[in-house]
Amino acid sequence: MEILAENNFSILNRIVNVLNRRRVRIIKLMAHENENDFRKGGAVLLLHTTPDLMEKVKHQLEKLIEVEYANYTLGSDHYLELSERIVDVD
Amino acid sequence: MDALLTKTKEKETSTKQMISGSEALLRCLVAEKVQHIFGYPGGAIMPVYDALYHYADKLTHLLVRHEQGAIHAAQGYARVSGKTGVVFATSGPGATNLVTGLADALIDSTPVVCITGQVFAHLLGTDAFQETDVVNTTLPVTKWNVQVTEAKDIAPAIAKAFYIAASGRPGPVLVDITKNAQNELIEEFEYEACRNVRTYKPKPVLQIEQIEAAAALINQAKKPYLLVGQGVLLSGASAELKVFVEKTGIPVASTLLGLGAFPADHPNYVGFLGMHGNYGPNINTNECDVLIAVGMRFDDRVTGNVSKYAKQAKVIHIDIDKAEINKIIKPTVYVHADAKEALSALTQQCVNNSFPEWIESFRALNKLEFEKVVEKEIRNTSSLKMAEVIHMLSVLSKGEAVVVTDVGQHQMVTSRYYQYKNPRTNITSGGAGTMGFALPAAMGAKIAAPKQQVVAVIGDGGYQMTVQELGTIMQYNIPVKILVLNNNFLGMVRQWQQLFHGKRYSFTEMQNPDFVKIAEAYRIPAAKVTEQKNLEAELKKMLAAETSYFLEVVVEKEDNVFPMVPAGAGVAEVILELPKANTAIQ
Repeated sequence: MEILAENNFSILNRIVNVLNRRRVRIIKLMAHENENDFRKGGAVLLLHTTPDLMEKVKHQLEKLIEVEYANYTLGSDHYLELSERIVDVD
Repeated sequence: MDALLTKTKEKETSTKQMISGSEALLRCLVAEKVQHIFGYPGGAIMPVYDALYHYADKLTHLLVRHEQGAIHAAQGYARVSGKTGVVFATSGPGATNLVTGLADALIDSTPVVCITGQVFAHLLGTDAFQETDVVNTTLPVTKWNVQVTEAKDIAPAIAKAFYIAASGRPGPVLVDITKNAQNELIEEFEYEACRNVRTYKPKPVLQIEQIEAAAALINQAKKPYLLVGQGVLLSGASAELKVFVEKTGIPVASTLLGLGAFPADHPNYVGFLGMHGNYGPNINTNECDVLIAVGMRFDDRVTGNVSKYAKQAKVIHIDIDKAEINKIIKPTVYVHADAKEALSALTQQCVNNSFPEWIESFRALNKLEFEKVVEKEIRNTSSLKMAEVIHMLSVLSKGEAVVVTDVGQHQMVTSRYYQYKNPRTNITSGGAGTMGFALPAAMGAKIAAPKQQVVAVIGDGGYQMTVQELGTIMQYNIPVKILVLNNNFLGMVRQWQQLFHGKRYSFTEMQNPDFVKIAEAYRIPAAKVTEQKNLEAELKKMLAAETSYFLEVVVEKEDNVFPMVPAGAGVAEVILELPKANTAIQ
């Protein structure tokens, strides 16, 4: 799952909270500030759950005031691609 | 020339008055047209209270007796007025005492802005006196929260708080302000209300193709059925709902929080849904061919066992909150929109219709309920029953009072027997089920609607959870009527113990104090009814009182609320009475 958000205090807590409440297992999580604007940021997560629950969780995440966008793809390829991109930037 | 410009600029700057962060906060509240604040002072919010001393002509502050009372009062105020309720509390325990109310307001979509004081910024994270991490504590129970550590950030945070609390699906917001920010001086400013938050889109754009798809299903339906929730009230769509129903002829049932959205005396109204709802609406959920849910979230108290819920029906779900769509029930068609806009658009697309036989089937089922349950309850000749008290209250107040209920048997009985005629007159704790809600919420409701009759209906258990607010009622002469139905039991838990736990009444019987004396100690006129023959006269006396009034009605100890959808059962398995062969349902 890829999430873009305002880099506000507690944003990561808010995101993790939604996943915890739905008992979605977080396998890997990589969070980052936006390279051009530290007030924005994002997270890339590798999650273990069902497609149906992902769809529900996506809307719950997008409901968070600071979250601009949340999207997911099935499988781990996209996670590896995104996380490598973040590591490269750093 | 440059020097002259600089001088003029300096002069302009010097004419700007310096104000404290606390005064900035109060100016923001005045600009947001706040009239009432429910609060309780303490160390970390003292600068705000000091500034408030000079704002008595602009802001009316009510000193509650506990912060939970403050937030429930703000909820009652918001639910009746449609405005945002405002709460002040101090740091640490002051703020944590708000948590129950925040959770309640979040699940019941109530706009509330809570301002909490916090320790000085340099003390954050040091376990200072009355320091609690309020932002993280309240994170899961607020729509949004923020901590402000500099005075310059107070106005933007307050503007954003009011915008977020009231827009889209409303909810509670908390702004935690450190004491240094309250004290810090800043230049006075022009308040700018917030109109937009980049990442927040509260109002979805109505998609006409969704409306067309929904209308196509409705126009073909033989047994359409409309379920309305609080979303209709929140969007102010009661009039649009009535027009839609009168054009399409569809029968209407209401959720607990939706009561009042559609008049109970309308010919298309078929009753109250859910665990203790009416027989017809529950049974026919599994008979309809198109189920239209407007501004409701398929709460488990409405659906019962989801795997047995309306499996035969095509479902249309209309909701402003995308996360509610497909959360519990997968709709055939969804309309992601504000209820008011969606109903107006749908009315244009739907054909004139009527379903007399289908509506008659609800009436027939409700008649069965009347014979087996209602008649026995309201025409009872032995001991006093909760239902007859509420039925009489409904008749005497013509279904026009604002009725604020707590949680438990009395709440379900009131929802069943009070015939709400108007929007925003049913105030209750629905999703969270917060005992102790009613007394302070009724206080807030009366402040919001001083010309309306406001009656708090409470059980003896819940009443004692926030009874201290009698002090607030006394101090500010809030003429709220308090009706306590006393069965000396935690009645709903006892009912479940009887039905599902072999009648083992584990810690549910209560030895109660003299409630009349307690009310009188707070200088509130009070009376007690123990016999049926005195009920009507005492209710009339309570309703006629111009001051606050307390009435205790001693009701049957082991009265049960029926119909009931047993836990784990489907809505169509609703029972009208205790099975005769068994004393307990397995």
